Amino acid sequence: MAKCKGRYWLNFTGPTATEPLIYQLSKKFDVVFNIRQATISDTMGLMGVEFEADREVLQAAIAWLETQGVKVKPVELNTIEG
Amino acid sequence: MAMAETFFSNLKCRECGALYPKKATHVCEFDFGPLEADYDYAKIRAAISREKIRSRPLTMWRYRELLPIDGEPTVGLQVGFTPLVKAERLARALGVRELYLKNDAVNYPTLSFKDRVVAVALTRARELGFNIVACASTGNLANSVAANAAAAGLESYVLIPYDLERGKVLNSLVYGTKVIGIEGPYDQVNRLCSEIAGKYGWGFVNVNLRPYYAEGSKTLGFEIIEQLDWRIPAHTVIPMASGSLLTKIAKAYQEAVKVGLVNASPFRIYGAQARGCNPITAAQQAGTDLIRPVPKPDTIAKSLAIGTPADGYYAVNVMRQTGGAAADATDAEIIEAIKLLAETEGIFAETAGGVTLACAKKLIDSGRIPRDERVVICITGNGLKTAEALDGQLTEPARIKPSLREFDALIVKHEPQRRGEKNSLMEYRQRGNGILETPCLRASAVNKSYGNRSKHTDPVAGANQQPGHGQRRGGDGRGAD
Repeated sequence: MAKCKGRYWLNFTGPTATEPLIYQLSKKFDVVFNIRQATISDTMGLMGVEFEADREVLQAAIAWLETQGVKVKPVELNTIEG
Repeated sequence: MAMAETFFSNLKCRECGALYPKKATHVCEFDFGPLEADYDYAKIRAAISREKIRSRPLTMWRYRELLPIDGEPTVGLQVGFTPLVKAERLARALGVRELYLKNDAVNYPTLSFKDRVVAVALTRARELGFNIVACASTGNLANSVAANAAAAGLESYVLIPYDLERGKVLNSLVYGTKVIGIEGPYDQVNRLCSEIAGKYGWGFVNVNLRPYYAEGSKTLGFEIIEQLDWRIPAHTVIPMASGSLLTKIAKAYQEAVKVGLVNASPFRIYGAQARGCNPITAAQQAGTDLIRPVPKPDTIAKSLAIGTPADGYYAVNVMRQTGGAAADATDAEIIEAIKLLAETEGIFAETAGGVTLACAKKLIDSGRIPRDERVVICITGNGLKTAEALDGQLTEPARIKPSLREFDALIVKHEPQRRGEKNSLMEYRQRGNGILETPCLRASAVNKSYGNRSKHTDPVAGANQQPGHGQRRGGDGRGAD
């Protein structure tokens, strides 16, 4: 199965800000993660991360993050106007 | 203007400072930070002067050395140099000494500041060899891309949510652009855009052409300085959607100093958002630069309703570093401000303009903006674009038979009403501002004509201000939208 890469901004708010979600993600899914930058406070967090995995696994991993309350947005979508 | 020299050297990551070639790319490969145009400022300083700028046509391209293009501009040659209106009646209503409105509601050709950014993005798109340009937008940006691309003979696509109001779609369709309705919310429209940009090699003005696009906003700042007779205003109030415009006006003020066009003076930058979508204002007021997304924006100011503002982090930092602040306005306050602006200055602004004025009023009333210093409010779009926001908000027209008797009766009825209005305005001034009149206002130098520059010589007072040199390297590229 073809591996694919994706670059994302993860936005952690509320309780997710202090949970070890990236650790849990790596245990649940076969995803290689590469954190490029992060800022964390006790109530919020923002992380730029690259994921590499089989397409279906990557989609499932992102869907899981979203169920945990993390807002996931591809870096390429960092557009500036509506 | 005969000039083929380029002063634009690289794209540069706002986070780590890594340099990139001047291609259609907008994200740092290393840390995902946004890329921004970088210039050879020493070369610009040697090449530019007030005299040189004054000798050029009254358009935004008179500051061409500070824009990210290699050759001559080829798209939107008439854009910019909108009026800086000395707003004396509005100043009295707000209780400030000296107030100006930068009126991009009459920008050419599509009546919003977006024509500035699109003119730069499409000129650069041509230089980079794109034949097809595109954008994802629900409003002003789509209109501007469609119109400017049509005038330049470029093929264009506009991607929108399929269920967008008919009126908004017509405003783009008329220019012959290809409008594609996407069955999904705006987020998914955006997602598809980035995939199309990659696969088809199109120039998306607010995706892969973003570093060029965003720089066009600086011209609004350069014009304010020139129209104030080469002074930086002490206080500038700017609407925030992504926060990009606010950061670029601050960058313009700093660059004008850097290249020797204007003397350094303290300035403060203030941001305005709608209460129903206020992620940047909320962060600024909470004293953090981490932006909490607004999942479901709910405001009549749709052109500002970006729940995850890409430049929010940078906007908060510009406000903090210049000693400015942010405010937000409810829908009712936005409507009131649109009416106040129209009734005092004859300017019909879109809802974003109502947001900016309503927030400026709050910042003045709370003492954040002093009443005795020079204030500029940026009006970025025309009210005709969002006229539906005023449905049911205005007095209905009187209706009479074609009879002079009925007309006379009506006018008699208006008479006490007129006197009442006068009284209530006086009361408003007394109640709202603590003063009746602003004694420092002069009747002269009304600056309403297109391109007319202010003749003021008053120094900008700024005793209690902090230095306005703010923009440093970024911290995160954050947000997203």
